Amino acid sequence: MDSIRKSVVKADHKIKVDGSAKYIADIKFNNRLHAKTLRSEKAKAIIKSILIPDLKDGYYVVEGKDVPGLNKVKVIQNDMPIFADKEVNYIGEPILLVVGPKLEEVIKILNEIKVEYEEDIPVFDMRESKDIFAKYEYEKGNIKDTFKKASRVIEEEFYTGYQEQAYLETQGVVGTYKDGKTSVYGTMQCPYYVKNAVIQALGCNEDEVRIVQTTTGGGFGGKEDYPSLIGSQVAVAAYKTKKTVRLVLERGEDISYSTKRHPALLKYKSALDEKNNIIGMDVDITLDGGAYATLSSVVLQRSLLCAIGVYNIPNIKVNGKVVKTNTPPNGAFRGFGGPQSIFAIETHMAHVAKEIKCTPLEFKNKYLVKTNDDTSTGGKFSYEVKLKEMIEKAEKISDFSEKYKKYSNKKGIIRKGIGMSIFLHGCGFTGSGERDLIKAKVKLLKYEDGIIEILVANTDMGQGLKTTFKKIVAKVLDKNYEDIIYKNPDTDRVPDSGPTAASRSIMVVGKLLERAANRLKENWIEGEEQIIEENYKHPDLIPWDIEKFNGDAYPSYSWGINVVEVEVNTITASTEVTGIYTVFDIGIPIDETIMEGQIQGGVIQGLGYASCENMECEDGKLKQHSITDYIIPTSKDVVNIKNVLVDNPCDLGPFGAKGAGELTLVGTAPAYADAIENALSVKVNKIPITPEWIMEAITNE
Amino acid sequence: MVEGYSPNTFEEALKILNEEDVIIYAGGTDLMVKNKNITSLLPKFTKDLLYVGDLNELKEIKEDDNKIKIGAACTLSSLLRVESIPEVLKEAIQNIASPAIRNMGTIGGNICNASPAGDTLPILYALEAKLKLVSINSSREVNINDFIVGSGKIILKDNEMLESILIEKVKFNKIYYQKVGARKACAISKTSFVALAEVSNQKIIDIRIAIGSVGPKIVRVKEAEDILIGRELKDIENLMSEVKKVYSEKIIPINDQRSTATYRKTVVLRLIQFFLQYKVVFEHSVKSEK
Amino acid sequence: MNKTITLKINNKIIKTEENCTKRLLDFLREDMDITGPKEGCGEGECGTCAVIIDKDLVNSCLVTIGSVEGKEILTVEGLKGTKQFDVLEKCFAEAGAVQCGFCTPGMIMAAQALLSKIQKPTEDDVRDGISGNLCRCTGYNMIINAILMAAKRGEGLW
Repeated sequence: MDSIRKSVVKADHKIKVDGSAKYIADIKFNNRLHAKTLRSEKAKAIIKSILIPDLKDGYYVVEGKDVPGLNKVKVIQNDMPIFADKEVNYIGEPILLVVGPKLEEVIKILNEIKVEYEEDIPVFDMRESKDIFAKYEYEKGNIKDTFKKASRVIEEEFYTGYQEQAYLETQGVVGTYKDGKTSVYGTMQCPYYVKNAVIQALGCNEDEVRIVQTTTGGGFGGKEDYPSLIGSQVAVAAYKTKKTVRLVLERGEDISYSTKRHPALLKYKSALDEKNNIIGMDVDITLDGGAYATLSSVVLQRSLLCAIGVYNIPNIKVNGKVVKTNTPPNGAFRGFGGPQSIFAIETHMAHVAKEIKCTPLEFKNKYLVKTNDDTSTGGKFSYEVKLKEMIEKAEKISDFSEKYKKYSNKKGIIRKGIGMSIFLHGCGFTGSGERDLIKAKVKLLKYEDGIIEILVANTDMGQGLKTTFKKIVAKVLDKNYEDIIYKNPDTDRVPDSGPTAASRSIMVVGKLLERAANRLKENWIEGEEQIIEENYKHPDLIPWDIEKFNGDAYPSYSWGINVVEVEVNTITASTEVTGIYTVFDIGIPIDETIMEGQIQGGVIQGLGYASCENMECEDGKLKQHSITDYIIPTSKDVVNIKNVLVDNPCDLGPFGAKGAGELTLVGTAPAYADAIENALSVKVNKIPITPEWIMEAITNE
Repeated sequence: MVEGYSPNTFEEALKILNEEDVIIYAGGTDLMVKNKNITSLLPKFTKDLLYVGDLNELKEIKEDDNKIKIGAACTLSSLLRVESIPEVLKEAIQNIASPAIRNMGTIGGNICNASPAGDTLPILYALEAKLKLVSINSSREVNINDFIVGSGKIILKDNEMLESILIEKVKFNKIYYQKVGARKACAISKTSFVALAEVSNQKIIDIRIAIGSVGPKIVRVKEAEDILIGRELKDIENLMSEVKKVYSEKIIPINDQRSTATYRKTVVLRLIQFFLQYKVVFEHSVKSEK
Repeated sequence: MNKTITLKINNKIIKTEENCTKRLLDFLREDMDITGPKEGCGEGECGTCAVIIDKDLVNSCLVTIGSVEGKEILTVEGLKGTKQFDVLEKCFAEAGAVQCGFCTPGMIMAAQALLSKIQKPTEDDVRDGISGNLCRCTGYNMIINAILMAAKRGEGLW
């Protein structure tokens, strides 16, 4: 019998190729009203008045005072309004929707509305902000003494920039109202997040709200919490007008105002003894949260948990904060705080190595965590850590160390370079989130005729859940995955199995489905309809204490090695990537081709993060606010990726699979930075590494 | 409501152009971006459109011993398929946007849009292209560097249309083109550089350099070229700083969302140096030794 | 009062009185309910709106219906059912070239346009052929593999 990992044709392949898959903007809703957003022109101001012109019949303005429940978007803190009514905190903040049947008239009304502001002084620089959304700190060993007795201290600061998810399908939702029930359809990752937000907005009962995910054209975290904002807006609009309201963002709007990756400032200070061993590390991280908290506290947690990367350092102190600035709120993007920290720790270790005249890899090897080592927060790496084997494999496929030596200290117009990064990603929600907040539940519905339907709230946004979830259930029940039903989740029909985020879907929800399928198998009654429910069981871990920031932050980890090879043209300072080699441990793949897709896509997103995806905020406005100016790689900017998977099955996941969705983006940037340093003998402390930066670095040589 | 005119002949087009206040619309790739409206609404044109993209008279390519005449409505892709089009122009075209844009965009449109970053422009300036401007009752030829007077500004009269581009067949044995963009496709040039030189008997017989995206118009500096014309290759090294100084004063790039003034200027000066030191002197000596 | 415009879309003759400056993308999606071509940016950069007009790949968000009267417009819906589409569909499946699917109709049209012009493309030809189609999920390489595979498997079809 074939192993589960053998690739199959994706369950939703045909409809996506022949153009029949309907995304939210493709669906024709009868008698729908267009909605357009009036946005703040000021970064920080009190709203003194809003002057609305006389409206034609059938045209409405939907604003703060129309929100029947709480005018706050339910995310973690309740600080962000659905419609700003008293004050605004960033340029672009939604103030109201203009809604009506003819788009030209809606735009006309929008342009005639006059908002009077009383301006206040905005804060744009995270270094200057005193407004803290969240902060945490943790220590291990004795950092004070360590720095006292250190022979040498190496200190530096890193900066990582914005990253825009740039999903090809822009944000879009449609709200409808019928017989006392408000429904929201749209492109989203987390239907229950949207449902809970809408319930809070309408102040109504659970059964009065229905959320339906439509085929989603990419998410990457950008559709994790943002749909809660726009979903609440159209829900309120539908409730007020008792009509169908459609809000689809234009690309420029989406790039300018929806959530992005948090820019970060990361300070690293390492204490070395007289033998040049690292005996202690002090890390200080500041994330730029933008104007509202959104998911920032959890992003910060992950960033701090990744601060020491894959290293076992005896004495550490890590503290961090996420602060408010009057810029568009930042949120989730694949990696969720991890990419910022991994870039910093990997690059810092490489810099320390070079200071003491060692190669980065030689140096890093001395500190790599091993199986059963403590994590930096007093948890344990209780599952096998295969880093040494992975590094060997990476060497084999890329010839890394040979090339690293060969490319070092060269002159010439074209400079070659090669770099390596070693990294990890905690699988699932941080700490006890799964047990205390999510409490995931799945259902398998077996019809009388034996056809099985998967009922979960998780969404396929391209990562292939429609296929992998079906494969898991089919494998257990010895059925053909094509006969399993799994529709886009509808909260009227599916239980809350938690968000599609945090690399939890396969490992956590997939495991629940595996268990449910096994129970169905054991209790199968031919010819009868059956429903099997399965609830989340928290594994036996060292308990996570968020106050002390101590314990097992994650139940398991996935691991990665990236090697990136470059050629830098020193005349134009442009860089071409000439090779990418990766080794990943994600347990086992549920589908080899789908996993390959996650690797290819994630690594290239990481490459963009490292090199061309430059986004600057000036006076509260993003300068690169179109898909023309925000540069993501095209087909001509990438090379084939040579990948090897190292099997390391973990009993927490179905068939041994671990989390993989985010891991693949995390390591490209530091590998790229290492390669640039190898090619040019420069010191990189900032990403993206633009040609403009490289030119300055080499002309200052 | 904006109307569209679809003339069947060039004559007809000129007549309409003479009588109506219209926008000349060939491929539309620049016009549609400039007049972009939100989804579902009509583009923001305020004048009627004159569709000239299918007029055969504007798509002809003729050549004789001395020159090539390219119809203004020739799409960029079509030029890639014509043998007589100079290789260096093809190289510039190949680096424009994407296949879909090249299939619709025209060389005439690229010229009349007169963007400081227009990718065919540095080549046409270096080739000293002439433009044939035609109206119902007139016909004149102007040099391209007289046609474009500023960013997006051309000297076309209200009833005139660009009919064709005339390029003299010139011989240069050193040709170098470099587009500098944020990525390898779909990139608006941060700067673009073309250099043509004729080198023989260890001397620079002729040299032309044109640079894009470093000012409101394409930059070509005769003063700098004159320093080099007639000089021996062995003297180039000594002339380098003088040449770079002249260019440095004439290159006035800006900071924008794509790049910085410093970067643009530095790249251009390095490209000039690279061309002279490497392409002209070094490569030539290597070849001569053979 | 607009004059009648005659368009040929997926082999059907369509007459319309919509304004001649209406974008072809809007006409296809709203008037014809042909939703394979998508709006990803509206400025000719992302390629999700790509269709084929007289054998050339074009971005329908930059095309006015008035400028394409009498021309043959082909969307993925019109390509469906042909032998070429079948080969592309199978190769895209095998190579894992589809994730969220939003760029896919545009990619299929780009592949079709490329193979119609270059029957035996090199990898560079393919990279160039889809260089105007942005993809955020796949990193492109699996799409390129799919197209190269289709060129081999579908030899003689283009």
